[in-house]
Amino acid sequence: MNTHAIELTTRDGERLRFECAADRNLLEAAADAHIILPAQCGQGNCGTCYADVSHGDFTLGKHNAAALPDKAGQGGTLLCCTFPHSDLRIDLPFDRDRILIGEIKVRNADIIAIDSVGENTLRLELRLAPNEDDGSTAEFEPGQFMELEVPGQDIKRAYSLANISNWDGRLEFLIRLQPGGLFSTWLREQAAVGQTLIVHGPKGAFGLYESGLRPRWFVAGGTGLAPMLSMLRRMAEFQEPHPARLYFGANRAEELFCQAELKALQAELPQLQVILCVWKPEDNWQGFCGTPVDALAQDLADASILPDIYLCGPPALIDAAEAAARAKGVPDNQVLSERFLPA
Amino acid sequence: MFCYQCEQTDRSNADSGCATAKGMCGKDATTSDLQDLLIHGVKGIAQYAKRARALNAPDNAADEFMLYAMFTTLTNVNFNATRFVTLIQEAAQVRDRVKASYIQAALAAGATPEQLTGAAAWQPAADMDGMLKQAAHVGINAGLDQVGPDIIGLRSLALYGLKGVCAYAHHAYVLGKESNAVYAGIENALDFLSNDPTDVEALLAQSMALGTLNLEVMALLDEANTGAFGAQQPTQVRVTPIKGKAILVSGHDLGDLAALLEQTKDTDINIYTHGEMLPAHAYPKLKAYPHLVGNYGGAWQDQQKEFAEFPGAILMTSNCIIEPQPQYRQRIFTAGPVGWPGVRHISDKNFAPLIQAANALPGFKDDVDEKVITVGFGRDAVLGVADKVIDAVKSGAIRHFFLVGGCDGAAPGRNYYSDFAEQAPQDTVVMTLGCAKYRFNQHDFGDIGGIPRLLDLGQCNDSYSAIKIATALAGAFECGVNELPLSLVVSWFEQKAAAVLLTLLALGIRNIRLGPTLPAFLTPNLIQVLVDKFGLLPITTAEADIEASLTRQAA
Repeated sequence: MNTHAIELTTRDGERLRFECAADRNLLEAAADAHIILPAQCGQGNCGTCYADVSHGDFTLGKHNAAALPDKAGQGGTLLCCTFPHSDLRIDLPFDRDRILIGEIKVRNADIIAIDSVGENTLRLELRLAPNEDDGSTAEFEPGQFMELEVPGQDIKRAYSLANISNWDGRLEFLIRLQPGGLFSTWLREQAAVGQTLIVHGPKGAFGLYESGLRPRWFVAGGTGLAPMLSMLRRMAEFQEPHPARLYFGANRAEELFCQAELKALQAELPQLQVILCVWKPEDNWQGFCGTPVDALAQDLADASILPDIYLCGPPALIDAAEAAARAKGVPDNQVLSERFLPA
Repeated sequence: MFCYQCEQTDRSNADSGCATAKGMCGKDATTSDLQDLLIHGVKGIAQYAKRARALNAPDNAADEFMLYAMFTTLTNVNFNATRFVTLIQEAAQVRDRVKASYIQAALAAGATPEQLTGAAAWQPAADMDGMLKQAAHVGINAGLDQVGPDIIGLRSLALYGLKGVCAYAHHAYVLGKESNAVYAGIENALDFLSNDPTDVEALLAQSMALGTLNLEVMALLDEANTGAFGAQQPTQVRVTPIKGKAILVSGHDLGDLAALLEQTKDTDINIYTHGEMLPAHAYPKLKAYPHLVGNYGGAWQDQQKEFAEFPGAILMTSNCIIEPQPQYRQRIFTAGPVGWPGVRHISDKNFAPLIQAANALPGFKDDVDEKVITVGFGRDAVLGVADKVIDAVKSGAIRHFFLVGGCDGAAPGRNYYSDFAEQAPQDTVVMTLGCAKYRFNQHDFGDIGGIPRLLDLGQCNDSYSAIKIATALAGAFECGVNELPLSLVVSWFEQKAAAVLLTLLALGIRNIRLGPTLPAFLTPNLIQVLVDKFGLLPITTAEADIEASLTRQAA
């Protein structure tokens, strides 16, 4: 079997190289070389391992078309189902600091709280069990996710973290209960405080792009709020000076959640504007009427400085927001996204 | 971006220098350009500060800002573009304040205030993109087509030397020592550079003036260090870990270390030094803390591997940070001028978050067999046994001294320094300082009649000790430093070393061997000037250079 030389270039210009056999996918071959790239499903479904091949030939195997962004060009691919036919040069849409050299951590974590925060939405809080190698730390970048596994059952699902790295092992997730979803059903019917889960991670490349003082606009649909909360909480912890806006949308006002958390954030981060968006409001709704993308498009039209835009939610929201941003002239590299796809 | 201030600058093209999206140090183009603009802003402050001081209206708070701002632009100090946008805005505000007091002082003295132009009249753009456009006109390479590379190189020598002066002055300042004469010298140099000087002699004279000024700054820093912590004493330092919770402190800021030691004295946390913090173990008031247990790792360029393996929290003070890896990114904290985007910064010496992290992290699981090295041969320790040293020289027991020191780095050519130290004949003494010593400080050098053959003088910040020792020896032998059986073999990396080099040249010290490569900003013409005027020598091989040093002495 032929092997091919693969050269990765990160957004910040770092290069990594490894070999990949023609019958092996790039993600696995990188892991064989102890290069752990941001990824999740490993099946071409989630879009986490999106990258752009600038030179060389490859096959993109079976995948979910919705996992590839609309903006993907000819070289756009998903590394977990990319098989090389030649040496490849690949541009990665994230910085070197999101690539782990080593192995993904697997730890136990106890459930310490399960609260209903809105219609069909739970806030799940875990505490990582201290161990010899990690102590009691929870170390991750804002915007990253963990995979949660129920021991002894074939249930594993990825959720974005809503809090920031800390020294007492806390992990906070916002989870939308999906009708018939395996993890949702387990959460609804069996989960209880004190139970232990297995967590894999942190993983993922989504996160803050640090490049000066461009305004940061965050657009979240539903539980897409989780990584935005994490990034905003980090900004609050660091007292970062960037102007910031959060567009948070739901179909109905009852489906919005975490209002108290957002108020607390605004107290710590006074420049944060929160724009609540309801698509189908009641008559007494005081906020924005429409989707967060409608609100984004409206504000971009008046923006004197084009912001960095962070998107998280279902693919339709992200595609619409990307289109709106492009229409207003926001460069593609200023738009960062995390797609929530059904497992 | 265009930057060629450090030794590792990109030399893959005919024109040396980092000029792509990212420099060899990891600094991105945005940050590099913003650093250029900040220096421009600082020059503007100095233009007014110099004139205000001449009218007896100094604003030392403005000088403190200038020291800090200049320090953030040294190699491997601050990589945070956001921080630079804020500093640039602050620079303009400080400039406006100094300008107002200058105008007031001039009017009070019955004089017409000067209308200053250039950096003094600059206003920062409203947003980052605008700032980047401004930066394009004020980088070190600005005017290259008009004035040519020799002039740009001379401006660089002065600017980079000045950065080192500012960094050392900042070290002294944070320990409570400052000097009006030093501030005046810094203002003069920045004001001089703000005029885009083109006169070769004037530029060389400015660099020599900076060398002299730096000697004053090094003396101030020596006074600050010994005043705060006592004179260095020869001390054995453990270089293997012991079981327990741990914090690693790197960089040069002894004040940050002292504050952390005080804040952790009643905890179970052990404090380790890293890199240039090693000499801390020799200061009486620091080593009095029993939980300052040892030194971990080597020189700065190995930090990514060493920090990833360190099982505790990490504090990076003053300088020498390289990109934190994901394995330790959450548990490394910066302090002082240091910064990295996305990394926690402690600006007020309240190390509670660092201590909390250390308590949560596992710490060392076991003791590792004890191994020690000896440090602490500052000028007091060496001159305390001066009689013994002088007798050894007179009797021929010590044939020659080598000062092998300076910065370390990753370049393979730096093996020269370990080869040099280890191959130095048994009747020679090797003095060292800076982090280049990590290449050989665990080697067993033995002693000459009780005088250790390897004398660790301290940090690069302790170059003053080396100068004092050399001067005292010259006094004892009634000769000049150049006539002593002493050879300087200097390893440079960044701008502190540039300042020290200027000091040595200003003192008239000749035949310094400089490596591993000569600065990229020195053109062949400028190198020839330094060779002709100061006998500066590029390194060759350890064997040949040892031989040449000993032969020169014998001749």
